[in-house]
Amino acid sequence: MDTFVFSLLNGTVYGLLLFMVSAGLTLVFGMMGVLNFAHASFYMLGAYFAYTLQGPIGFGPAVVAATLLSGAVGVVVERWFLRRVHHHGHAHELLLTFGLSFIIAETIKLFFGNYPVDYRIPPALDFAAFTIGRQQYPAYRALMAVVALAMFGALWLLLTRTRIGIVVRAAIYRPRMAQALGHNVQLVFMGVFGVGAALAGLAGAIAGAFYTTNPNMALEVGVMVFVVVVVGGLGSLGGAMLASLLIGVITSLAVSVDRSLADLLSVVGAGAWAEAVGGLLTLKLSSLAATLPFALMLLILLVRPAGLMGEKA
Amino acid sequence: MRMNLPLLVAGVALLAALPAVLPGGLLIASIQMLVAALFASAYGMLSGRAGMLSFGHAAYFGMGAFATVHAMNAFGGSGLLPTPLMPLVGAAAGLAIGVVAGWFATQRSGTTFAMITLAIAELLHALAPQLKGLFGGESGISTMRAPSLGLSFGSTTQVYYLTLVWVLLSIALLYFHTHTPAGRLTLALRENGHRLRFLGYNVHGLGVSAFAISAMFSGLAGGLQALSNEAANYAVFDAGVSATVVLNSYIGGVGSFLGPALGAALMTFFGYAVSDATQSWLLYQGVLFVLVMMFAPTGLSGLFGTGVRLVEQRGWRPAVFSALLVGGAAVLLTAGGVFAVELLQRLCSQDYRALAQAAAELPAVTLLGRPWSPTSVSTWMLPASLLACGTVLVFVARRRFGSAA
Repeated sequence: MDTFVFSLLNGTVYGLLLFMVSAGLTLVFGMMGVLNFAHASFYMLGAYFAYTLQGPIGFGPAVVAATLLSGAVGVVVERWFLRRVHHHGHAHELLLTFGLSFIIAETIKLFFGNYPVDYRIPPALDFAAFTIGRQQYPAYRALMAVVALAMFGALWLLLTRTRIGIVVRAAIYRPRMAQALGHNVQLVFMGVFGVGAALAGLAGAIAGAFYTTNPNMALEVGVMVFVVVVVGGLGSLGGAMLASLLIGVITSLAVSVDRSLADLLSVVGAGAWAEAVGGLLTLKLSSLAATLPFALMLLILLVRPAGLMGEKA
Repeated sequence: MRMNLPLLVAGVALLAALPAVLPGGLLIASIQMLVAALFASAYGMLSGRAGMLSFGHAAYFGMGAFATVHAMNAFGGSGLLPTPLMPLVGAAAGLAIGVVAGWFATQRSGTTFAMITLAIAELLHALAPQLKGLFGGESGISTMRAPSLGLSFGSTTQVYYLTLVWVLLSIALLYFHTHTPAGRLTLALRENGHRLRFLGYNVHGLGVSAFAISAMFSGLAGGLQALSNEAANYAVFDAGVSATVVLNSYIGGVGSFLGPALGAALMTFFGYAVSDATQSWLLYQGVLFVLVMMFAPTGLSGLFGTGVRLVEQRGWRPAVFSALLVGGAAVLLTAGGVFAVELLQRLCSQDYRALAQAAAELPAVTLLGRPWSPTSVSTWMLPASLLACGTVLVFVARRRFGSAA
């Protein structure tokens, strides 16, 4: 029972982390129709910025600085790269961000090497928040969840309760009309892109200390974030939240299930046959955990192609 | 599309003559170039002609490779088919998995399609190491080329000719496909899927067929690679393989038929040539890709067309002059950029850091056969001045030939 609660909590925290990265991606997509392949690279940049600055200025300021720096890189990418190729169409923009993600990953390898760097939680934050049974729950995980939830709340309030939010939503819904009404849609695009990048950077700065910080983290998280965005529905913030939690919890729970399809089949008396077939049927669910999100995505595409909360078909 | 027949014959003759002039190491690189060219052609058929951006083509390449390895190992090593026909197994595997994956992926178009293809490839990549029987776990599966039809297939030359025949045949088939009604409809799918649907065509079926054909030739390329390496490892499903084919194809230019193949051959060759000299080849590849996407969206093969247009518009003399100007700028910028990157790479390497820590100062690094001190200004002035001169040349070229260059 303790293990179950713990995997549930871990899954939720991982899901919230995924949400922090996918929020920016889905906002940018909803607004500009651009799938930013480099989005997860901002997550990685955040982690590396925080790691580099942690020594000179301490953990807290480093996280803030990493967030701002990632946002600045995002602004540069939008202003000087994406805008230049905008007239070539969305596929071209997607390819450009793909190339940029490649360059960012290789540049990081150039400066920091191919291996994980020693980026750790500061000792002041490394304590147990509470205890269930005999297991302690690290406070840092709880902190990550709090940051993600605070971010969700702030974004929600900003988008639905402020004047900026109205302009942003108008620019998402009818960019040309918003422009005709005298709003600087270009600036709004740049701002949203920057904020999305900054949020990803914040997620990286916080999560990099807890998980590992290595040059492959962008790809690992990036692929998962794409799955989240497709499952949740492109452009939907609520959908991104739901899908992130779903995927986080499913992967986390699956790791602790030591059963295979053959065990399930033996209930109906086909266990021996399944053992004989081998392959997929005898693989433990725990070793399939990494593939479950993709399977979920294919399933969603079959039964509900627009995603859980998506509107655009 | 115009096909210059004498040029084509000369190209094929050159390829056929290569084993006579090239040393062994380069011949193996040529086989890799041929395989990469076929893979990129298959990819270009999907992304360029059908307008479907796939980020997961490693899945079909890898399936082709593994199917071929299993076919070669069948019947206690004697093989399912004679060795020269082995790539057909790879093609069949690519086709089979392509039909299934394509059925899913082409449900959606555009961006979502790209993400689905990526997810399918990642699904296979995550699953492959678990299925030890099929994919051999971490170590992969090795095999042997069985002698067949009086040929031993032991020498690189024989493998080269086998690869060459298959690659030329496949590229010819892909070219033939562009002239069939199905090929024309593929083009229509890219231009306007809605109108195609109104005209009564089965758009989903067309998408699946284009996807499956591309996957089939990718599988064939994978089969050829397995045949040449005599092994396959689950690393063929890696995202890097998918990324490389995207970069290669677009650097070459998906707009023309041979663009992706030329791009892939060129990039594979450079990758082979510089693999000893630098560790940052992937970085250069990425930078080149981004530059192409930003300044020459039609790819390197499109530059040729631009040159031809320039000659037609302004005559030979200004065209050659501007080509020299742009070429000079490219050389200067490349030299400056590469020098800076290589210097940084050496300064950031772990060996150097340990050395600097031990010596308590910043020792000089060796590059191009002479030492460069990281603390002296002259070291950094060299790449900076190269880059500055290159930038000046670019501005001059843009002012003179703003519209054409």
